[in-house]
Amino acid sequence: MLLELRDITKSFGGARVLKGVSFDLRVGEIHALVGENGAGKSTLIKVITGAHAPDEGRLAVSGQVVDVMSPTRARELGIAAIYQQPALFPDLTVAENIAIGLEPGSVFRRIRWNDRAVRARRLLDRVGARIDVEAPVRTLSMPQQQLVEIARALGAEARILIMDEPTASLSDQEVDLLFQVILDLKADGVGVIYISHRLEELPRVADRVTALRDGAVVGTRPMVGTSRGELIRMMVGRELQAVFPKTTVAAGEIVLETRGLSCARSGVREVDLVVRAGEIVGLSGLVGAGRTELARVLFGLTPADRGELLIRGRRVQIGSPGEAVRLGIAYVPEDRRRHGVILEMSCAANITLATLRRISRLGLLDFARERSIARDYVDRLSVKTPSLDAPVGHLSGGNQQKVALARWLVAEPSLLILDEPTQGVDVGAKAEIHRLMSTLVERGLAVLMISSELPEILGMSDRVVVMRSGRVMGVLDRADATQESIMELALGHVTTRTAS
Amino acid sequence: MNSPAAESPWGRLIAVIGARRRELSVLLAYVVLLIVLAVTAPRFFRADPIRALLVSNSSVLVAAVGMTMVILCRQIDISIGSLFSVCGVTAGLLARMGLPMPLVALGTLAAGAILGAINGLFVAGLRLPSIVATLATMVVLRESLRYAREGEFVRDLPSSFQWFGQGQALGQSAVVAIAAAVFVVFAWSLANVTLGRAVLAVGSDPEAARLAGIPPRGVVFGVFTLMGLLAGLAALLNAIRFADVDPGSGGGLELQVIAAVVVGGTAVTGGRGSLIGTLIGVALLGSIGPALVFLDAKPQWEKAVQGLIILAAVATDALDRQER
Amino acid sequence: MATAEGLDPVAAETRSRAPRLAVLPLLLLSEIVVFSLIGTNFFTMANAYEILRLSVEIGLLAVALTPVITTGGIDLSVGSLMGLSAVVFGKLWRDMGAPIPVAIAGTLGCGAVAGSINGVLITRGKIPPLIVTLGTYSLARGLAEGLTGGVDNFTHFPPSFLALGQGYLAWGAPTQAPLFAVVAILFWMLLHRMAIGRGLSAIGYSAEGARHAGLPVERWVALVYILSGLTASLAAVVYASRLGQAKADAGTGYELAAITAVVLGGTSIFGGRGSVHGTLLGLFAIVILQIGPRLADLPAELAGVATGVILLVAIGLDRRQPAGPRPQFPLSQSETLVVKNSQVAVICGAILAAAAINLAGNAYLARALVRERAQAPPGSTEGSPRAALREHPPLTIAMMPKSKGNAYFIACRKGAEEAAAELGVTLLWDGPTDPDPAKQNEVVDAWITRGVDVIAVAVENREGVSSVLRKARERGIKVITWDADADPDARDFFVNQATPEGIGRALMDNAARILGGKGSFAIITASLTAGNMIAWQKCIEARRSEKYPNITMASLRPCDDLQKKAFDETTTVLNSNPAVKLFMAICSPAVPGAAEAVKQSGRTDVKVIGIGLPNDSKRYVHEGITDCVVLWNTRDLGYLTVQAAVGLARGDLKPGAVRYSAGRLGELRIEGTDILLGQPYLFTKDNIDQFDF
Repeated sequence: MLLELRDITKSFGGARVLKGVSFDLRVGEIHALVGENGAGKSTLIKVITGAHAPDEGRLAVSGQVVDVMSPTRARELGIAAIYQQPALFPDLTVAENIAIGLEPGSVFRRIRWNDRAVRARRLLDRVGARIDVEAPVRTLSMPQQQLVEIARALGAEARILIMDEPTASLSDQEVDLLFQVILDLKADGVGVIYISHRLEELPRVADRVTALRDGAVVGTRPMVGTSRGELIRMMVGRELQAVFPKTTVAAGEIVLETRGLSCARSGVREVDLVVRAGEIVGLSGLVGAGRTELARVLFGLTPADRGELLIRGRRVQIGSPGEAVRLGIAYVPEDRRRHGVILEMSCAANITLATLRRISRLGLLDFARERSIARDYVDRLSVKTPSLDAPVGHLSGGNQQKVALARWLVAEPSLLILDEPTQGVDVGAKAEIHRLMSTLVERGLAVLMISSELPEILGMSDRVVVMRSGRVMGVLDRADATQESIMELALGHVTTRTAS
Repeated sequence: MNSPAAESPWGRLIAVIGARRRELSVLLAYVVLLIVLAVTAPRFFRADPIRALLVSNSSVLVAAVGMTMVILCRQIDISIGSLFSVCGVTAGLLARMGLPMPLVALGTLAAGAILGAINGLFVAGLRLPSIVATLATMVVLRESLRYAREGEFVRDLPSSFQWFGQGQALGQSAVVAIAAAVFVVFAWSLANVTLGRAVLAVGSDPEAARLAGIPPRGVVFGVFTLMGLLAGLAALLNAIRFADVDPGSGGGLELQVIAAVVVGGTAVTGGRGSLIGTLIGVALLGSIGPALVFLDAKPQWEKAVQGLIILAAVATDALDRQER
Repeated sequence: MATAEGLDPVAAETRSRAPRLAVLPLLLLSEIVVFSLIGTNFFTMANAYEILRLSVEIGLLAVALTPVITTGGIDLSVGSLMGLSAVVFGKLWRDMGAPIPVAIAGTLGCGAVAGSINGVLITRGKIPPLIVTLGTYSLARGLAEGLTGGVDNFTHFPPSFLALGQGYLAWGAPTQAPLFAVVAILFWMLLHRMAIGRGLSAIGYSAEGARHAGLPVERWVALVYILSGLTASLAAVVYASRLGQAKADAGTGYELAAITAVVLGGTSIFGGRGSVHGTLLGLFAIVILQIGPRLADLPAELAGVATGVILLVAIGLDRRQPAGPRPQFPLSQSETLVVKNSQVAVICGAILAAAAINLAGNAYLARALVRERAQAPPGSTEGSPRAALREHPPLTIAMMPKSKGNAYFIACRKGAEEAAAELGVTLLWDGPTDPDPAKQNEVVDAWITRGVDVIAVAVENREGVSSVLRKARERGIKVITWDADADPDARDFFVNQATPEGIGRALMDNAARILGGKGSFAIITASLTAGNMIAWQKCIEARRSEKYPNITMASLRPCDDLQKKAFDETTTVLNSNPAVKLFMAICSPAVPGAAEAVKQSGRTDVKVIGIGLPNDSKRYVHEGITDCVVLWNTRDLGYLTVQAAVGLARGDLKPGAVRYSAGRLGELRIEGTDILLGQPYLFTKDNIDQFDF
């Protein structure tokens, strides 16, 4: 037994996050860990890596009980982890990021820069990443950073490797390569704890799967023979029916049209796009294809420098988010915690933040009106919050996402841009968000949805726009869109310009 | 995969210039100043003014080395002026007690390190915001010193105090050499030693550092202690230039040093910066005062010029960022 | 999922704020109680109004800084901007002949422009506010000094304008109080009741998040800096009317006091959370801490130390963990704060205990004094039998140096204490920690409130201090000036140790003697704005142009009252201008600084003279570098001042007297209302060893 946890308990200020969790990992095993957001997965791995000390319970590595675990001690014991949010140093180079924590010895040791660069290149090659090792990490894209982090974990030559959502922002190609690496490691006898929301990828690698719910283990099963439905039932305690509650609405007037829209700074190039009222347009493509960049151009965060932008047929310039909001555009960003909500502010304040003008009279805030609006949307979206005054940072990811959505619903936009609306959101909340999208288009809203999950794109979109390196490669109707056809476009194998 | 530019030697050079353009632009400003001086006031380049410039800025440089590390760690220390004064007076009082000079030096450094460690305790131990915590210690130290000395010089020091008793020529060389040595050791270590990189790592992302096994609080505490130690050393290097110790000697030092570090291109948001830049910043700001005298400028415009230089330096930063 | 099992984040939130909201009023209350117990006349309406008056300028800066800090920014330039605004105001009114309202409007406009420069650099240039305002901090003060050459001082404003800063409304409230109240309420509305305030808080928590919510982040951030600049110039106008003068050094160091008030008031320096009412509480806590010790006869440095300690305690408490559960993930990427309550409690306990012991000790002393006074009330000769034993009742003489951090005044104090002991009077010795007329004003005000018999002031700045001295006289307190004079109608007598003319003549004559009647010399001064320095420079120049036209003044360099800077400036002048053969150092740290520089340069043809303490110069006089130092016997100056003060209070010294017998100094001459100490001493190789001060 490589790793053994017995009855681990952990509380944060009175709230029990882990309630007697037992878990084990064998040599050469890939053990998947699933559970809704807030089920305690991240806390559990932080206990294993020594980032959090457990209140109670026993932790043994290779049969040896470890009394006090710290990040340093964990490393000595051969434990390495990839965290959900890359724990990298933005100002340091790729090579150095990979090297930090890998080089043992005195703190007064001289650094061998050449060795570092060579090692970094070797490790990055292993995960198939083409990244300049001398570049500062801050210049990398999110998936590139994730690859750097994976390379770093590989470099640790750990016996226990923990991966928390490693594929969240990777393209399918990169995922394939990553799985190959994981299987190689497994062959070498490394034990891997694998956490993912993408249940469909688990059978490809995992040997066993453990489900957590509300800080307790629901069960551990062999992966073979465990169905997706069973996994979901273990995670949420109920079976989910229709995963994509898609309703088709007759498309109305054109809400958004772009002609040759470009922004040199963010690499958006000559985008032609049409979104009508009552339809959901899926925006697909590999990570780095320029989808988020396009959304940011439309929302005025990085204004366009060429091309035309028409809202309801009228030519407009969008130079700032404020102007976009006035034109009826709303944008729920990808990075919820940094951009989507303000964690320290209350639910009510977050919900009304984009519509402050509406809740103020003569510039003075009307607190009663604010609360009634907030109450209304909290109920409508069934946001699970103890009170309207609770800081949003105290809510789970799914509920934070609902608050981010609610903020824009209050604004009653005509075009809603959703950027990865269900990333890192648990299964239950995911379905609720999909249902909400359907309701919105029924009411005549135009929705532009960016998603890296092909099933979501296929399940929810009326049309699919596929992008690659800042350009639109093609537009597929719902009937024509398949995983294959989208991937062909995304990979640049064919270019079709279907009339929109 | 390397970018193609990095493969040719020219590409390397361009890459280096790109990475160091902040330092280079300040250096360029300095060179321009020197050229103006060379044309209008060649006297500036005689041995005496240069020596005076070196000796007088040695202690500023030592303090700025410490401040660079503090700022790299996303912190700031505005108590160093008061700390400098306290250490200077400590040196004087210890010398007057008849202690041999090595012990005096040791005692001064220890005093600096202890006071720095107190700042470190507040910031790293109690997690108080450094700007507020050091504002408080600045006021407390300054007022306590004022109460104790009422501005009176520490006089009647033994002859071994000034220049360590070694005479002026040797003493001046020693002051400059010590400052240079401190600079070289720290600049090299910050770039090439694990511990130095740990400072940058903590400044870049403290949580990532913790997960990588670097204790961010330990590093911050260490950096503040080091800042205190270096402020003590700076005070010592300053004090031994004189026959008496002025208890007000550190007045305004904190802003002078912070300005030099910032002009030298260290980002106040931490993680980015270099000691080379700080050296150029110290040189530029330290030369402005004398340069204006040599250029026969009116003294009342000196502060305005300094402010303009700081603003110009940071404005180039902003322009640079917008171009990219 | 945020399960609601027995947790109420609202309550948790309230609890986490509870220490702040409870601690500040508690702190304020305990300050008031302590100082009421140990201070004299602290708990009076008049004092409350004085506290209010003194709070106004820093308060204006602080309330305007609150939104700035709430956005996660900072504005270090406000103090300097006050200086620049004061100069602009003076220029508009005096030099351009603008009527006062127009001048005020112009000044406010200038403040807004300066603020918008900050705002544009921060928002458009995306430069951290700390750096931008560090630059404008130097720039604004630099411009103020540049425009006036440091020396220009705008005075003689019309009485109607002065009433704004010095007058009283009904019930004795100061005139500027309603103005401050209005501004504070406006800022409170802005931050707590207006949509923009909500936005500012959002920007402080996460500027990117606010931008994604469609808020005009840049515009709002720029606005708070403009408001900050505007309010700083308003503060400058109030300052000018309170002191009756406008000068380049107005508001020096005010930025730190204002920031301290804001942070003490619970506004997070990281942004997001901020409150104007908290700032007001913090402000009063600081101002009371400054005034309280004066009324309780405790040293002024205590105020600074206590402010620092309280600041640490307050933010320490603020850093407490909220009682509720922590969110699943850290609230922000940066470190979350974990401080054990017990740690904070122990530290706070220790600090408070130390403070309590200190205060208790002082309280005992102070009460003993008060009791002594009570037993012999001033003005009643037939008091208690013990008082009757004495010839006169014990008097309280309050004596103020220009600043406390200046060694020159140590010997004065020794002389004053000698006289006080001889005459059996109580001597209060206190002054501002920096030479600042506004601070001198505050100390005098505190003494008026406290109630003393005689106030003796070494006046930093004639225009800035005279009005408050007149006020003291109106309240029946005798006023003496010493070292430097105020307006003649603002005091009873001036203890004149040497006139600026006398000093200027002595210095210039000696300079001419050393230079042999021709050549050039340089002056090292303390600062370009110091009043006495300016007076001496004028007299030196007058003497030079009158008698020594062949001598030129080559350079005038400020040394910030630092020996080190004097050294560097002297060295630079030596190197840049070899024709300079003489340095005239006219502030006390500069004399040894300049002499050391000349010594280290090895130039034997250059000499130093100056105004300084003999002890600092002995070494250089004997080495032949410093030729001579001009100064009066400072110990005698302190001694004479107390002698004269006591004489004045007891009626021995009456207006119109021509002679006064001052203890060991014997009979001294009085010219008009000037009591003459005698000619300034010339300390040379031959006599300098006879003196020890």
